[in-house]
Amino acid sequence: MTPSLFLLEFMTGLASASSLFLLAAGLSLIFGALGVVNFAHGSFYMLGAYLLFWLTRGDAAGFWHYLLVAAAASVVIGAAVERIILRPVLRRPEHFQILLTYALLLVIADVCRLAFGSDYKSISMPPGFTGPVFLLGSAFPAYYAGLVGLAGAAAALLWLFLHRTRFGLLVRAVTQDREMLETLGVNVPAVFTVVFALGIGLAGFGGAVSLPLQSMSTDVAVDAVISAFIVVVVGGLGSIWGALAGAFLIGEVQAFGALWLPEFSIVFVYLLMALVLLFRPWGLLGRAPAVRT
Amino acid sequence: MKFATIAVLLSLLLLPWLLPAYGVQVAIQALVLAGFAVSFNFLFQNVGLLSFGHAAFFGAGAYTAALLMSKRDWSYLAALPVALAATALVALVIGFLSVRLTKIYFTMLTLAFAQMLWAVVHRWYNFTGGDNGITNVRPAGLLGTAHGLYYLSLACVVLVILLLRVVSRSPAGYTLRAIRDNPVRLAAIGVSTFEHVLAAFVLSGTLSGLFGFLQLAWQRSAFPDLLYWTTSAQVIIAVILGGSGFAKWDYGPVAGAAVLVSAQAVVQSHTQYWPLALGLILLALVLFFPAGVAGLFSRAHRRREHEDELDHAAA
Repeated sequence: MTPSLFLLEFMTGLASASSLFLLAAGLSLIFGALGVVNFAHGSFYMLGAYLLFWLTRGDAAGFWHYLLVAAAASVVIGAAVERIILRPVLRRPEHFQILLTYALLLVIADVCRLAFGSDYKSISMPPGFTGPVFLLGSAFPAYYAGLVGLAGAAAALLWLFLHRTRFGLLVRAVTQDREMLETLGVNVPAVFTVVFALGIGLAGFGGAVSLPLQSMSTDVAVDAVISAFIVVVVGGLGSIWGALAGAFLIGEVQAFGALWLPEFSIVFVYLLMALVLLFRPWGLLGRAPAVRT
Repeated sequence: MKFATIAVLLSLLLLPWLLPAYGVQVAIQALVLAGFAVSFNFLFQNVGLLSFGHAAFFGAGAYTAALLMSKRDWSYLAALPVALAATALVALVIGFLSVRLTKIYFTMLTLAFAQMLWAVVHRWYNFTGGDNGITNVRPAGLLGTAHGLYYLSLACVVLVILLLRVVSRSPAGYTLRAIRDNPVRLAAIGVSTFEHVLAAFVLSGTLSGLFGFLQLAWQRSAFPDLLYWTTSAQVIIAVILGGSGFAKWDYGPVAGAAVLVSAQAVVQSHTQYWPLALGLILLALVLFFPAGVAGLFSRAHRRREHEDELDHAAA
C-alpha cells in the first residue's frame, strides 16, 4: 500500500469516526446516567440532518449558522422528549423504556418521511471547505478536516463540561449512585433532563455536520443507532474516552476493511464488536464490574 | 380454561373459511409471528436472557430453504429438515459463544452475531443474491395455497407450544428457571449451567428457524431484511405487547403477535404510514396502559400460573 493511499483511507476513516463519535457519545452518556438504552438515538441524528437541510433549503451557503440552529433545536427537542415522554417510564422496568424509545424511532422516521419525502437529501460542501486538500500526494475533501476538527472540539468541550464544571460533576455522580445524590438534595430529574438534552443535541449536531458527506434518507436512523451501539460496546458503556476510542476503531476498520474486501467491510465491524464482547464485555476502556455479571 | 382452549382451537380451524382471501394472508402472518414470538420467549422467560439476535435464526431457516429450492430445485418440505439442521448449527455456534454472558452484554453479543450474518447475506451477491434477495420460491401443491399454508402454520404453532410446554414443565425446565434465579448456587450444587442454557438457546433458535421457514412460503421470497435487527425488534415488541412477564409465557406472545399483525393489516388498508401508527399506539400503551394488551387479563393469569406451579410442585 502506498503512503498516499494509506493516508487517504486513514482520513476517510477519521471523518466517519468523527460523526460516529458525535452519534455515540450521547448514547453512552444517556445510558450511563439514565440507564436507558435509547433506540431512537439514530433517529435524532437523522432529525438533525433533516433540520439542517430544511433550514438551508439544500443550499450550502447558510451551512455554518444554520448548523448552530439545528444543534440548538436538537437540544430543545431532547429536553422536551425527556420531560414529556421519557420521564414517566424512567422508574419502570427496562422493557418499557425499550418499547418507548422504539416507538419514538418509528414515529420520527415516519414524520420525517411525511415532511421531507423518502428520497435522498444531501448538501454540497460548506463554505470554506469546498475544495480538496493535498497531502503527501493524495487528495481528500477539505471538509474531512473540518469534520474532524468539529468532532474534536465537541469532545474537548464535553470533557471540560464533565470534568471541570460543577454540573458535570453531578452528571458523573448520577452515573455512579443516583440515590446518594438524591439524598444529598440534588435535583436528579433536572440532571437527567440536561444529560438527555445534551446527548440528543450531540446526535443532532452529528447528523447535521455529516450531511455534506452522507446523504440522508429515512433509512439512516436504524443503521445509525446500530453503529452507535457498536461504538459504545467496543469502547465501553458510559465512558467518553471509550466512545472516542470506539469511534476511531470502527471508522478505521471500516475504511481499511473496504480497501481489502470492499463488499464485506461492514462484517469486520461486527466481528470487532463480537470479539470485544467475548474477551472484554465491558468494552476496551470501560470499567470491569466489581462483581462479575 | 381447557374449554376455552378447545373453543379457540376450533375457531382457528374454521377461520380460513370465514375470512376473505386477504384475511387468510394476514392470519398466516399472525401465526408465523406468534410461533416466532413463543420460541423467542421460551428463552427470555425461562432463562431470563433477552436475545437481540433471533432474526439470525428466523433468517437462517428461510434462507436455507430458499437456497435449496432455488439452486437445487428441492421441494419445500424436503428442505425443512435441512433448514432446521442449519438453523440449529447457527444457533449452536452463536449460543456457544454468547451464553457465557448475561444481561446487556448477552443482548449486545447476540445482536452483533445476527448483524454479522445479515451483512454477509446482504453483500454476498453470488450466493444469496444480496439485497435482490431470492425471489419466486413457491411451495408446490397444497402448501402453495393459502389454506394449506394456514393449516401448516397453525399446526406448527400448536406443536411448538405443546413441545415447549413439556420442556418447561420437565426437570430441565425447572433447572433452567433455577439457573435464571440463582446461577451461582446451581453451579455450586453441580448443575452444568452452561450446557442447560446452551440447550435452551439452541432449542429456541431452531424453533425460530421453523417459523422463518414458514415465512419464506408466505412471502415466496427471502430478503436480507429477515435477518436485520428490526426483525429481532419486532418479535420483542410482540412479546412485550402481549405482556411478557404478566401473562403466561406462551399465550402472551401469541396475543401480542395477533394484535400486532391485525392492527398492521387494518392500518395499512387506510394509510401507508403504519410505522407512525404503531409508534403512536406503543407510546399510548406505555404511557397510559402500562400492563400491555394481555395486562387486561394479567391478574387472573398470574393467579392461575401461581396455582399451576403449586400443583406441579405438589405432584
